[in-house]
Order: sequence, then structure tokens, then C-alpha cells
Amino acid sequence: MLAKGLKHLCTAAVLAAAMTGVAHAQNVIKIGAINPYSGPLALYGDELARGYQLAVDERNASGGVLGRKIEIVRGDAGNPQQGIAAVDQLVTRDKVDAFIGTYISAVSNAASDTAQRYNKLYWDTNAVAAELTERGLPNFIRVGPNAQNFADMSVRAVVEMIAPALKKQPKDLVVWLEHEDSIYGKSIADIQKKLLEQKGVKVAGEGSHNFKAADLTDAILRAKRTNPDVWLQTGYVPDDNLLLKTAREQGFKPPVIELVGTGDTQETLDAVGGDYLEGVFVVSYPRPDISEKYGPGAAAFLAAYRKAYNRDPIAPQSLTAYTGMKILLEVIDAAGSTDVAKVRAAAAKMDKPLHSYPSGFGVKFDDKFQNTRAPFTVIQWQGGKQVTVFPDEARASGASLKNTPRK
Amino acid sequence: MDALLHVLVIGVLLGGIYGLVALGLNLIFGVIRIVNFAHGELVMLGMYGAYLAYSLLGLDAYVSILVVVPALFVVGLVVYRLVLQPLHGESSMQIFATFALVIIFQNVVLAVTRGEGYSVPSRIAGHTLELGDVRVTVSRLAILAAVTLAAVGLHLFLQRTMVGKSIRAVTQDRQAARLMGINVERTFMITFGVGSALAGLAGVLLAPIYTLSPGIGGNFILAAFAVVVLGGLGSVAGAYAGGMIVGIVEAFAGYYIDPELKQAIWFLIFLAVLIVRPSGLFGQPGAEEIGFREQE
Amino acid sequence: MDATSAAYVETRAARAGGIPRVQRAAALYLGGLVLAFVPLAVLSNDAFWLTVLTYTYLFAGLAVAWNILAGFGGQFSLGHGVFFAIGAYVTATLFVDHGLSPWVSLVPSALASAIVGALIFLPTFRLKGSFFAIATLAFNEVALVLANYAESLTGGPRGIQVPFRAGFANMIFADSRGYAILMLGFMALAVGVSVVLMRTRLGYYLLAVRENEDAARAAGISVVQVKLRATALSAALTAVGGALFAMYVRTIDPPTLFSLPDVGVKFALLALIGGMGTIVGPVLGAFLIVPLESYLRALLGGSLPGLHLIILGVVMLLAALFMRRGITGVIDAALVRWRHRRRHV
Repeated sequence: MLAKGLKHLCTAAVLAAAMTGVAHAQNVIKIGAINPYSGPLALYGDELARGYQLAVDERNASGGVLGRKIEIVRGDAGNPQQGIAAVDQLVTRDKVDAFIGTYISAVSNAASDTAQRYNKLYWDTNAVAAELTERGLPNFIRVGPNAQNFADMSVRAVVEMIAPALKKQPKDLVVWLEHEDSIYGKSIADIQKKLLEQKGVKVAGEGSHNFKAADLTDAILRAKRTNPDVWLQTGYVPDDNLLLKTAREQGFKPPVIELVGTGDTQETLDAVGGDYLEGVFVVSYPRPDISEKYGPGAAAFLAAYRKAYNRDPIAPQSLTAYTGMKILLEVIDAAGSTDVAKVRAAAAKMDKPLHSYPSGFGVKFDDKFQNTRAPFTVIQWQGGKQVTVFPDEARASGASLKNTPRK
Repeated sequence: MDALLHVLVIGVLLGGIYGLVALGLNLIFGVIRIVNFAHGELVMLGMYGAYLAYSLLGLDAYVSILVVVPALFVVGLVVYRLVLQPLHGESSMQIFATFALVIIFQNVVLAVTRGEGYSVPSRIAGHTLELGDVRVTVSRLAILAAVTLAAVGLHLFLQRTMVGKSIRAVTQDRQAARLMGINVERTFMITFGVGSALAGLAGVLLAPIYTLSPGIGGNFILAAFAVVVLGGLGSVAGAYAGGMIVGIVEAFAGYYIDPELKQAIWFLIFLAVLIVRPSGLFGQPGAEEIGFREQE
Repeated sequence: MDATSAAYVETRAARAGGIPRVQRAAALYLGGLVLAFVPLAVLSNDAFWLTVLTYTYLFAGLAVAWNILAGFGGQFSLGHGVFFAIGAYVTATLFVDHGLSPWVSLVPSALASAIVGALIFLPTFRLKGSFFAIATLAFNEVALVLANYAESLTGGPRGIQVPFRAGFANMIFADSRGYAILMLGFMALAVGVSVVLMRTRLGYYLLAVRENEDAARAAGISVVQVKLRATALSAALTAVGGALFAMYVRTIDPPTLFSLPDVGVKFALLALIGGMGTIVGPVLGAFLIVPLESYLRALLGGSLPGLHLIILGVVMLLAALFMRRGITGVIDAALVRWRHRRRHV
């Protein structure tokens, strides 16, 4: 017991000494960016933060917001607990004015909840879970798309683009629905099933798998059994890659392969090669190569990214993050402050049509503060490149569908 | 009937993967009685080693075995000498140390690669062979071949060579082995090196199949432990057979029942076997009696 | 101090005509409690450190609960995540679906966990050491899959969100200090249970079984009974911790609850580095690792990916190498040297 007491004294002393109580100059607007910057998803958290930084740099170059410069402070969080701690840290030590985030929905959930208790705005650009806006948290605004949009766009692609390309009516199409088994894959697949059935498309079966599984041959064989026209998979990079490889090995050749959420990066190209990927559709975040008419400023974003980071964007999420931050800064400007109530009021008033921003977004928040003008786009792999093909307005001029149905 | 054969083949090939990963773990576990939770990370290092060999030296994955496996052998020697040997006798602390290694290995690789998902191409790996209706890739056949050869080789090594015999002696009775003049510490170190080398072999052979990520070791470690325990501590044949069983059960469960439940199903079978036969399928009865508080 | 050496010291003190054993133990316990409260008093205005302290208290209590079965009982379990999850799910479900106060739900949570623990561990008791550990890992994995699958029970992959309805009866506090005190209370409970346990017959039997099962059996101890009771106690306490966690984080799902590095294995790691088989060890381990990890993440989390964890891993490795018997081992050794020096001055 004595030992315990000693230890506690030491701990208390160390902790007290470690407390920094430095007061910060506050003529800077500080925005806390909550994302996983370590752990398995560090790549994406980092990519989002890069998008934010580009938007901030751009704005600072033209004078900042409300006469103040903007600064991003990163808060690393890979699970809800860490999200709470990150928000605590950013509020009390870094004195941030508002929050932006977040690659992981569960983290966004917990972090925004904590931010609410400090009465700080939580502006979400990338997390897709439906309940983030469904729960009605008073400080939460989602400017980016959600799971519903993923499902919507993937089904629209099937009905409006793929069916005609296959020269079939939707009611004659057979789709196999594959998804990874966490909340991300499951929630999107649930909506996909509903929407497909609404449109009269036949869902031959639904396959759920663990994205880290060592073997997914069973998933492929089960799908192959039903001979679908469209194989629709929602998941992450590891399972996308393994499934595609396995499909090739097992001679599973559905006329159309459509991936949702991932599968549009170099990682997948490296894994299966351009030849096999030819014709694969991917529903994902808008890419910088969309037409200037669809996303004004996309090309400028790409140039800025290349200049700042000496490489092409790792994933399209950065463009959405960039756009989300841009819109936030405009809203703060319109609100005249970072105060939650004022920002929300300004956001509610904002009305910008689609194609106002580099990612093709517009701004119109519904009563749950979900931006209703934040659609995904669909690319098709062509010659080792990702070409935006859907919706039609997003299609780059001259682009057409290739290898559909797959040979 | 077709599907049945197909699923069986998948199961056997998957069993080969599990067996290969478990082989090195089994050796370490059986001989030194260390629960090496960092074994998955050694496999991961083997995979990234294959990637490095490819990107820096242009070596095909299968050729890089010549470079990566010896490298992992050395890594194993170093890890044992610096971390595990000093903790000899403190089994619980050894476990703690291996967890620390897991964290270190995973995050060093993360820091260096920033988490990008690499792929290691191989000219031959992707080819498929057709046996009737069943298609089999060269990569998985290679693994099956490797695990079989490695198991046989390991068995011969343990039975016929002096080093192997000293390993077996040490496994049976440390004190007696020491009395016979065997340098127990060095034997352990070599064993750990060989186990790590086997992990490296597994990594190289798995690299063409999966997308590399710093945490990928974690995908295999639980299955590897289950295989080792199922097969019976220290039994090479047991690890081999255990891998097959787990692989086949997983394949059948995934195809006929539900892919979402397949892992749970073989875990349950694993538990059932353990309850009925605590020493595993091929282990010596009583082997499981050796707990954590092994004193020298 | 080790339970056995503490008992020894107590006996000698008693024989020397000193303070009676029970009073002495109570005094030490209360003293420890007061000291544990000091960081809370000091840091109550720093929200970040308050959060860290809250987790530290919680995980200290969880590590102590784990230690009852693993440290004292010698059954190294890596499946305690199952009990943690049961506590979290039962309490959260009863609150969200039936409006039952979490204070009340602690009872069914603990009971359910104790029963499940006894049921699933019973068949595995004949396994020793590493085999037992791996078998318990299997429990964790099976439970993870089942929790994902049984949507009607657990909310599936979505999990359960507990809405923020502040109020003491709801165990939801608007003031974060409330949570810190709650977790401190949990830690005090767990330590208290440990202290009392090691003074009862069950505690002594537990140690006897750990040291030599056959001898204990020969001495007439029902080994299975002893292990079952220890499991039930350990599982019940862990479930209480899980319930508190659910009311604190208020968003629970299978990946969070069954995460081995963050939950199931973490309990073991904290107890190990603090000193397995001692009452205070797990607390010390928690106070070392949890603040360190949080601090490193706060400091370095935004820079090079994984850097803060590399540092944590290296610290853990060095701790293992230089504190072979854990923190309590170091303190024990220091005390022995101090006493030795006093005697030979």
C-alpha cells in the first residue's frame, strides 16, 4: 500500500510538471482536425489533413478569414476513446475554435459528442455513417456525402449506366451484393439492396466477409454460382484486391464489376494490373480529373497538391476534404464568427448549386444539417487510369465506357 | 460433387498457408516454450522484405527467398539474444516483451511506408492450373509445396542433424541436456532464428497473394496459434495437420454455412478439440501441463 | 507488495504487538485511496489530463480484476474482453431500451458475466499456461463474430449509442469530474475486493492452486470450485468496468469492445508490467502505461505516423528488460535493500 502511495505521489508530480499552461495568442483561428494519423488508417487520415491544409493555405494567402489567419491542429484518434481525448486536448491545451474531421465514423461520433459539451462546432467532411446526422447533435454539420449517397450512386450507376450498356432492362438484371462486414460495408449494402429491389433489379444474393480474411474464395464461388450480371462489392483495399485476384484465378467473369468506396487507387492497380482492371467501375469520392465544368477548380487543386507534396494525391478523399474545408471557411466568414449557433444559422442560409466547388459539390443543408448536394462520382478503370464516367455531367469530354460487358 | 471437391482443394491450400505460418511458431513454442506474439510481425517483415527485394533489387518474389529468409534468421537471433534471453525464466515478462515488439515492428513499418498498401508482383505466382473444374494458382501451390517440404525438412533436421538433436534434447529435458554438455542458450537462440526464418519464408510466399500493410501479421497470428495448439505442442506433423484441419473447416464453413461465421466456427472446433484433448491432436499427453511458471 | 509477503509482514507486526492486522490493512487501503485521489484533485481543471486520469482509474480497476484470476489464480486469460463486453452491452441495452438506471444494471451485468465466465472457462481449466491463454483468445474472437452477427441483441456492427441524458441516476455526468470520481470508485472497489479476497480462505486456496495444483488437490482443496469462484469474481468486476465504460464513451461496438490490443490484452499488459500477482501491481502498471500512451499520442500523434507508438513500444520493451518482476518487483527489491541497510547500519 505504501508503494502504491509513493507511486501516486510521483505520478502526480510528473503529471503536474508536464502540464503546460501557456497562454496562446488568439488572433489566429485554430481548427482541430480529428483523424487517425497513426494505426492502419493513417494514410487516409493524413490524406484528409493534406486536403485541409491546402484549403487553409489558399485562404491564408488571400488574407485569411475575418481578418485572421487559420491554423490547423491535428488530433490523432483511431477509436472513440482516443477521439474523446483528442477533443479534450485540442480544446484545453491548443484552444481550438472549431473541429473538422473525420475518416472514421465511430471516432466522429464520439469526438463530436465531446465537442458539443465544449460548445464547439464539429464540421464533418468525410465520415459516412448515417447516424452522425440522424442523432440531431446541435453542433454537428456534415458537408460531405454519407452512406446513403454511396448506395444511391452505386444503384444509379447500375440502373442508368450499366443496364443500358449491357442492353438490358433493370428488371432483367441480376446483381450479387458483396460487402465487408463492419458497419461501413453493412450499412451501405442494406441501402443498396433496398434501392435495387425498388428499381426491380434482382438481387441474387448477398455476401458478407471480413476484410482481413486470409481467403475469400468462398465469397467468389458463392457469387459465381448465381451467374450475376453485376458484381457489386463495398469494402476496403485489402479485400477488394484479394477478391479481384481470386475472381481472376477462379475464372469468375461477371459482365460488370462495380466497387464502392475503394478500389480506385494505385494500390489496387498494383495488385491486379491494368489489364484485369480494365472496365471496372468504382463509386468513390470525386477525383481531381473531373471536368472543369463539373468541378471548377479541381485542376487547380491537383496542381497545388503536386506542388506542395511532390506527388499525386494518394486517394480522392483529399479533394473532398479540401472542398469541405473551403466551405467551412466560407461559412465562418458568412457567420462572422466560429460560434456554433451563428455558424449553423449561416450554413442553413447557404444555397449554392451543384458544381460550385472543385469536387462538384454545392451547398444546401437539410434540417439535419446534412449537405444534400454532395454526390459521389463513378470512375472506370481505362488503360490503367481512373476516368470519371458517371454521372454524365461529370464525365470528361470524349470519355466513353470501355470493356463493358467485360471480355 | 464438383463444389465439394473445389471447396476441399481451397481448404487444403488455405491449410497450407496456415501451416506454413504456424510451422515456425510451433518450433519456438514447442522448444523454448515462449508464446511469441510477434510471430505475425516476423511474417510481415518477410513480406516487406520480399517487397524491398523487388523494388530495390528487382528480384522476383520467389527468388528473394534467398535473401529474405537468411535475413529473418538473423533478425530472430538478434531478437532472442537482446530481448528474450535476458528474460529467461520470466515467461510472463517475455510475453509482455513480445507484445512490445509487435507494437514496435508494426509502427516502424508504418512510419517508413506511411501505410500505403504495397503489392509484390511475381511472374509465375499468378498463373493458374486447371485440374478439371478446379482452378489452383501457382502461388498457393507453391505454399503447399513449401510447407510440405519445410515440414519434412524440419523433421529431418530435428532427427538427423546434431543441432536438431540438441534441440530435441533441450525440449525434452533442459537440465539433462545441459549436463550432457549442450549449450542450451545457444540452442534456444538458433531455434528462435530458425523459427523466424520460417516466418520469413511464409512472408515471402504470401507476399504475392496479399496486399501488404503493417498490421497484416495480425490477420494470421490467431489462426497460427490455434493451429499450433490444435496440432499439439512441438509436433511438426501436428502443425501441418492442424493447418490442414483449420483450413478445410474454414473453407467448408465459408462456402456451405456463412462466410461471416467461418472464423468463429473453426475457433469453436478448436475449443472443442482442446476440451476433449487438452494436449492437442498430436501432442504428447501432459505437454499442456507445462504452465507459465517454468522454473529453471 | 506480494500478497504472501504482505501477510507475512502483517503476522510479524501482529506478533510484535503492533496494530492488529485488520486495522492495519484498512489503514493502508484508505491511505492508498487518499493518495490515489491526489492526482484527481490536482488535475481536476485540466480537461485533457482529467480524461487521461479517468481512463487510468478505469483500466487500473480492470487490470486488478484481471489479476484476480490470472495473477492470484495463475490462469492467464486473454479473453477478459468478453466479460468487459457483456457488462457494456447489458448496461447499455437496459438503459437505452428500458430506461433502467445503470447503477441498477450493474447487478445483472456482473451476474451475466460471472455466469458466462464460469460456463466457458470451466471446460478450459485443465489447460495450462499458454494453452489456456490461447483458448481464451479464441473466446474473444468467437464473441466478436457473434456480437457482429446477433444484430437484434447487440446492434450488430452498428453497436449501441447511449444518448447524452445527464443525471446521476443515469450515470451520465455533464461535469467530467463526475466520471473521474466514478472510475476512481471502481478502482477502489476492485482493489478492495482484491484485498478482502486475499484475506479469505478462497484467497489462500487460490494461491495454493496457483503454486501447485496437485498438492492443493491432495490437501483437500476443490481446485475446480476455487477456479470457478475466482473466475466469477474476476468476470463480474470486469463487467462492471465494461458497464462504466459504456456510460462514459457512450458509443460501443464490437471492434471497440473486442479489440485485443486496446482491451483484452491490455488488461494483461498493465498487470504484467505493474507486477502480476500483487494487489497494487496492476494499478501501478496502469498509471505507467495509460498516461504515457495518451501523452505520447497527444504530443506526437499528428506527426510521423506511428512515431508515438514506436516510442511507447520501446519504453515497454525497456520496462520489460529492466523491471523483470514488474514495478512492484523493483519496489520490493528496493525495500529489501533499504531494510537490509537499516539493519546493518
